[in-house]
Amino acid sequence: MRNLLVRLAGHLVRALVMIWVVATFTFFLIRLMPGDPVAAQYEKLVQQGMSPDAARNATRLTYGFLPTGSGWDQYVHYLWRLLHFDFGRSTQTLGVNASAEVLTGAKWTIGLVLAGILISFALGTVLGVIAAIRRSSGVGDALTITGSLFHAIPQFVMALVLITVFTVIWPVFPTDGNVDILVDPGFNGPYVASLVSHASLPALAYALSMFGSYLLTMRSSVISVLGDDFVLAAELRGLTRTMRLRYIARNALLPLFTIFALTIGFMFGGAVFIEKAFNYPGMGITLINSIGHRDYSTMNATFLLITAAVIVANIVADLLYTAIDPRVRRGGEAVA
Amino acid sequence: MRRTAVAATALALCATLAATSCSSSSSSSKGGGTFTAILTQIDSKAPINPYNQSTNSFRGYNAMMLGWSKNTATDPNKFYPAIAKSWELSPDGTKLTVHIQPNAKWSDGKPVTGDDLKLSAAVAYAEGGSAFAAIPGTAGGTVDVKVIDDKTVEFDQNATKPLNTWFANVMTMYVLPAHVWSAQVPSDIWDTIHTALTGSAADAKTAQDTITALGKKLIGWGPDKDVSAGPFTLTRVTTSEALLTKNKNFYDADKIAPSQVVIKNYQDNSTIVNLLLKGEIDGSVYVAVSQSQLDKILAVKGNQVVSGASPVQASLVFNESKKPFDNVHVRRGLAYLIDRAQVTKVGESSSGKASPYPAGLTAAQIQGWGVSTSGLNAYSVDTAKAATEFQQAGLKQAGGKWTLPDGKPFTVPIQTTSDFNDWTSGASNVAAQLQAAGVDAKVTASSDYATYLADLAAGKFTVSWWLTALGPSAYNIYQRLYGAANGWTLGTGGGVAHSAAGQSGNWMGEAESADVSGLGTVNPGELTNQLSQVPPDQQKQIVAKLAAFTNDQVPAIAMWDYVNQNFVNTNRFTGFPPNDADVLRQPQGVWMQLGYIKAKAK
Amino acid sequence: MVTAVEIPTGNTPALTPARRGFWRNLWRVLRRKPTRVAGAVIVALFVVMGVVGPFLYPANLPTDPGNAYAGPSGSHLLGTDFQGTDVLALLVTGSRYVLVAAVIAAACTVVVGTGIGLYAGYRRGGPDSVLMRITDFIITIPGLPLLLVLSTLWKYSNPLTMGLVLGVTGWGSVARAVRSQTLSLRERGFIEAARGLGLSTAHVVRKELLPNVAPYVAMNLLISVTVYIYLEVGLFFLGVLPFNENNWGVMISQAVQNGVTQTGQGLAYLLSPLVAILLLTLGIVLLVDAMDEVFNPRLRED
Repeated sequence: MRNLLVRLAGHLVRALVMIWVVATFTFFLIRLMPGDPVAAQYEKLVQQGMSPDAARNATRLTYGFLPTGSGWDQYVHYLWRLLHFDFGRSTQTLGVNASAEVLTGAKWTIGLVLAGILISFALGTVLGVIAAIRRSSGVGDALTITGSLFHAIPQFVMALVLITVFTVIWPVFPTDGNVDILVDPGFNGPYVASLVSHASLPALAYALSMFGSYLLTMRSSVISVLGDDFVLAAELRGLTRTMRLRYIARNALLPLFTIFALTIGFMFGGAVFIEKAFNYPGMGITLINSIGHRDYSTMNATFLLITAAVIVANIVADLLYTAIDPRVRRGGEAVA
Repeated sequence: MRRTAVAATALALCATLAATSCSSSSSSSKGGGTFTAILTQIDSKAPINPYNQSTNSFRGYNAMMLGWSKNTATDPNKFYPAIAKSWELSPDGTKLTVHIQPNAKWSDGKPVTGDDLKLSAAVAYAEGGSAFAAIPGTAGGTVDVKVIDDKTVEFDQNATKPLNTWFANVMTMYVLPAHVWSAQVPSDIWDTIHTALTGSAADAKTAQDTITALGKKLIGWGPDKDVSAGPFTLTRVTTSEALLTKNKNFYDADKIAPSQVVIKNYQDNSTIVNLLLKGEIDGSVYVAVSQSQLDKILAVKGNQVVSGASPVQASLVFNESKKPFDNVHVRRGLAYLIDRAQVTKVGESSSGKASPYPAGLTAAQIQGWGVSTSGLNAYSVDTAKAATEFQQAGLKQAGGKWTLPDGKPFTVPIQTTSDFNDWTSGASNVAAQLQAAGVDAKVTASSDYATYLADLAAGKFTVSWWLTALGPSAYNIYQRLYGAANGWTLGTGGGVAHSAAGQSGNWMGEAESADVSGLGTVNPGELTNQLSQVPPDQQKQIVAKLAAFTNDQVPAIAMWDYVNQNFVNTNRFTGFPPNDADVLRQPQGVWMQLGYIKAKAK
Repeated sequence: MVTAVEIPTGNTPALTPARRGFWRNLWRVLRRKPTRVAGAVIVALFVVMGVVGPFLYPANLPTDPGNAYAGPSGSHLLGTDFQGTDVLALLVTGSRYVLVAAVIAAACTVVVGTGIGLYAGYRRGGPDSVLMRITDFIITIPGLPLLLVLSTLWKYSNPLTMGLVLGVTGWGSVARAVRSQTLSLRERGFIEAARGLGLSTAHVVRKELLPNVAPYVAMNLLISVTVYIYLEVGLFFLGVLPFNENNWGVMISQAVQNGVTQTGQGLAYLLSPLVAILLLTLGIVLLVDAMDEVFNPRLRED
């Protein structure tokens, strides 16, 4: 237990350093981006029929929300505010806290990502075990190649196909958004049902594009465990098939935690494709919109939140690893 | 692990089935009462504040102005009444008296009064409303607002250099509830405004800063609960939709058919087209679709398109600081080589019409301003004329390819942005046409519009896409070509100053004046500036002159005029405005206020 | 980002392959299943397409706006695009940019990842800590969002820059995996022996360690190519990349934006690049399957 606490403390220190590094990196990277947040606003107003002088007057206020001073001053100011969990004000929705914008999106992304991961994990591990056991038969081959292919089908293609099939050709799912606004919000049947029906297709798109990597990892992991001495020993000891499978599964699942952690992080960052395709208002959409509007504060906040998600996922995976794998628990070095 | 996952999947599936069955039942129960609209990007965190760039105060629905512009091509001062039932403008255009709708009430039952208008004007100063600028020289013009009585308010314009755009700018002021907003605005705000406008330099500066700081504070603010004088009140917002409920206290409530309005998020075109294909949208703003999408959309029961002219034109603009595009013959030669009808077909087949003349005006504007087309050159495709023009510019033709006088290949780099598919498609077609004619053309797309605009303003492009003819006022139209982007900025005393290419945002780099046969020496920036100060009949002459000048000098080749197409659906509502109605550029909430859109009889 | 490359052996150390007979081995394994030969042929075809393809067509493809979104026909085997250009010509001429960028990115990933992984794993101590922190950083920083930002910074006028940018964001997981393999190899007898014999570090790394991680690296190279094609095309699909020449991603993006998914008109225009990507992916997957068996005899049940 004490060992675990020490490990956790070490992780936390490293996580904080990493967050600082990423915060610094994104801060300067984002400021290198070309583009003027005001120009697009101005163009939009003029297009709506406002006179150029009036539009200039109307967008003048936006400048008040742009950072001023030297890059270094801005950076110090930025870090100082970060320490107080203040991510600054949005320039896209003027004056509104960037963190509020990002958290609104994050809520929806987390739901989708979790649903997608659970489905793909279940599907992938089960099929992976089958593919490993039947690896010399046609079933095994078919599973492996299907897994590789699904894994390789780009998420946006998967999304396009699902949209075309289930909302245009056979319209059983809603096309866009996250919930039907006509339903009264709250914990009631219709509202939950509306949430689920809106999330189904995007979650499915995630799941279909992710289960392949679980399948392949599980397959090769099971195969390598099958050849291990302890399996042989178990067989010699005359343990039942179910017992042996449990042995194998327990040991074969280990490497999946690494990939599991990486997947969570990846999905947060990769939410862009799916959310864009389904017009699902998560963090990916927030990020795309903030980039389009050059909303620096919101961009910074989104980056940090995604990074934090990856770091936390890694820590959790490592701790789980420690708890499960006896070799690591004895003080050996974790791979992840 | 496996068992729980299976259970979870099953649960999700059940819920999904429940959802599909439930949503179909709810849609049948809502009948014709809910009007579903596409308007803008929805942000659930946005304040109920019409001045915010993303807002939950939607113009025409729960945000009201004094009047609704008819967007008439030649007269920007034509308005439909809104909160202002009627108005009088003094002959010199410096005094506007507004009479508030006698029945106008806020959704909480309080009447709309002169104090509301006065406070709204104060907020407009802070937030950068069109007619209200605390920093002189930018825009504005309003120097005072007087409450004559409960229902009458007088607006005064600076009499020394009155602008003819001022009236329209005042009429588009948002009207806010004083009893909700006054707590946010200091009580001495009008003293501060007067100091900012007329005080000594130092005092004025302090006052202006105070107002700017107030604006910064106010812009992100909005009441927790919507108080609206419009036909609807905001009920709730999700991250992708907004729900508005009919405001029983609206002064023309009996004209409003829908009991509620759902505004869908405008995230990208393809989602909207999917919604249109399902027949779920009762009214949309302009949506760019391809011809095949249009056909498919109109094949859905009830879907119709209401279209009208739009004062927006897509053009190829030259950066004349880059050689050889400073030479008018090169620009004319290129104009002769491009078949604009073909570009329009490829780029904007359904919602664009090829521009008839490169003159800085759309076809509707040319007609509206009575510009004689006999004097205008249509630059119909003519390779012989193009060759003559090119030769006059010293270009040479060798082996079917045009080269510069020094023998280097003549290349036309065309810049567009991947954000706008119509520009990108149109640009590839322009390039293909030029290549076929022996001119080496190449298309490059910037990653997004923000990058595009920044690089454009920095003068990095040579030939680029740009919206021109942006009206409705004549001044706005030609500001696009002969304004700050081309070096002419407002100087002191109402005149304009010209800065050289590459300075003060001048990326077009046209010469300050040019000799045009029949017109003499013309300074287009001067003429454009005069448009904001002279009465309509004189504007007409200036517009004709600028059209001829633009047609001769070709600073831009107009490709197509956008057609403003709104999709509507007649399954649930009828009585939509006809094509070319003057309300088409206003949101559907305004259509309803003006008596359009009726519930369909069952 | 490149989680795909985790496919091989997880935490089990790589097995020493039969080094010399690699090609003979590969051929033997390929022949065992016809699908594997098909995979090799597909990959070879795409390579030829990328190398030779652009020379088969004029620099400026002819257009015919009167014949836009046409279906497949004798004169246009794969139909036409939004301005009547032949889709097959677009597909072939557009392949080079996509393939070159993906190969460069994959090479970049593998070279940097392997180099850092080997060095860190072999040296351990200070250099290891520093390099692994950098690796952590590369892995932690969200790849796709990073690319979205980078897309506004670079012009991507040629596939080289595109490939480098993609590659720079993706080598983290390779480095980590190679390092952990190196760490475990280091404890094996033959490395100990080599060091005991006083052989130079360079020799040990090049002659003893590298061959042992090579299988892993080779498979990564192939799989990374598919991942980068997907990423690259995806970015073009999102419409966030600047572009100045035709490529598959631009084709998909244009097709979708012109409403092909909704109207079905010009379906061949949308499907051609998609099928090309899937076909190439399939080819690579089949080839990897064969290599997997060459390098990892345990996969064989016999």
